[in-house]
Amino acid sequence: MIIESLGEWTITKVGNTGRFFRFIWASMAALVHAVLRPRDYPLILTQMYAIGVQSVPVVMTTGAFVGMILAIQAYGQLASMGFEERLGVLINIAVVKELGPVLAAVMLAGRVGGALTAELGTMNVTEQIAAVESMGTNPIHYLVAPRVLACLLLTPFLIVYADLLGILGGWFISVYQLKINAGAYWNYSAIGVERWDICTGILKGFFFGGAIALISCYKGFTCRQGAHGVGQACTEAFVGCFMTILFLNYVFAVVFDAVYKCFWPLRMLL
Amino acid sequence: MTKKPIQPQDGILVTLNLTKRFEDQLVFDSISLAIEEGKTTVIIGPSGCGKTVFMKHLIVLERPTEGQVYFKGQRIDHLDERSLAKIRMHFGFCFQMGALFDSLTVYENITFPVRQHYKTANPRMLDELVKQKLALVGMDGFQHQYPASLSGGQRKRVALARAIALNPEVILYDEPTTGLDPITSDVINELIIKLQKELKITSVVVTHDMKSAYKIADRIVMLYNGRIIADGDADHIRNHPHDVVQQFIHGRVGEAELAALRLGGTRFETQFTPDDFK
Repeated sequence: MIIESLGEWTITKVGNTGRFFRFIWASMAALVHAVLRPRDYPLILTQMYAIGVQSVPVVMTTGAFVGMILAIQAYGQLASMGFEERLGVLINIAVVKELGPVLAAVMLAGRVGGALTAELGTMNVTEQIAAVESMGTNPIHYLVAPRVLACLLLTPFLIVYADLLGILGGWFISVYQLKINAGAYWNYSAIGVERWDICTGILKGFFFGGAIALISCYKGFTCRQGAHGVGQACTEAFVGCFMTILFLNYVFAVVFDAVYKCFWPLRMLL
Repeated sequence: MTKKPIQPQDGILVTLNLTKRFEDQLVFDSISLAIEEGKTTVIIGPSGCGKTVFMKHLIVLERPTEGQVYFKGQRIDHLDERSLAKIRMHFGFCFQMGALFDSLTVYENITFPVRQHYKTANPRMLDELVKQKLALVGMDGFQHQYPASLSGGQRKRVALARAIALNPEVILYDEPTTGLDPITSDVINELIIKLQKELKITSVVVTHDMKSAYKIADRIVMLYNGRIIADGDADHIRNHPHDVVQQFIHGRVGEAELAALRLGGTRFETQFTPDDFK
């Protein structure tokens, strides 16, 4: 009995994984198609507005609070060692390398991922996706490609906004509330934060955005009938996006660290 | 006399030994059917007998487990999505609930298939097309409304206008009168007849509304337990000897179902009233 259930569970999971990877493959092909077809640009721009522009306030607010909270939390520890002027390094590295990209992506997973799954899921249960297909249009080209492209291209920009507001939030609290010298704050920050840190943080956004869009669209396309089906798909999409963001972040931490160490001696020579 | 086996050239749409299984559940089994060009074929059958699934196979929205589907003699069930897209331009599909895109206006819904397949830079041409199609279904003037603001009947008429946007050769209707009042149902029936007569369109209609079936059908096919149990014109169906056909067309419950209902009973030892839960 247990072996039978385990076998059934394994077959289901392997089948679902296979379907998801086929979906990714079809989406990637549709992405290239969309880029080469100017007729699809209005669709992409509409999604860019909905996914990117409308997410700016929420991402900026998240970034600002991350910077402000970091300043308050870290100040006590650094001040006890007399290193309070180095608060900027700690805040800015944390914001630019990890917290800015990850929290912006998590906010996007909630705001954009949930909306994408709910929209496509509802279209699925009301046969609108089948209607697209019945009129000779590939629904992945029409519905998925513009959304994935918008997420891929705009998540890095949103991370820049989150980083910027995180840095400003940290600076504001450090200088105006905690009375740290502004010159020292920025000096230490400039020494501590490298271009590499900023670039890797932004680069992550590209992959986070792609993962959010693909997972959310897939869940919308495969959601079960009824309100419960759509609700469940939204939950699964958010959990899936969140876990994937954390996993990808771990992978990037390992990979970027290895790359950095590999090129560090070269950088010293240059 | 043995019936001649159906050939792919016998109709505009032909299914040969079409079988569909969802995991362990057999939806229909070895259905061979030739749909005649320019005629209205109505597929009837009880709810859940696989009528809609069968119709989705005609346009390959579902792939068969076994068997083949032919459109104008060309096999289509094994084609890839790109080739199918070209075939589907010859079809219009009217979904049960309309399946209009609710984020688009009526105008945008009707121009959707046109914009997808043709480079139409001339907005006046599109305006004219939409006006023409909406006039055909009696909905001209609703161009800028959203589907949410339309009634069920209006939505179905707009869906019909969208289905004929590309001047298809075949229109597939999935329960076109379900959920509509008798008068609106009759309007839809008249529209189906009008489109068939004026545009010479082949129609395949899935329904369990017998009044509608008798009115619009050149031929009625009944599906039951995954097989065709009756096939012929309205008179043939009316006088069909099969019990299930007679029960279905007269809306009569069968002896077996009645016995099951009686066995279930309505009097139980414990009768709950809302007060019991206080």
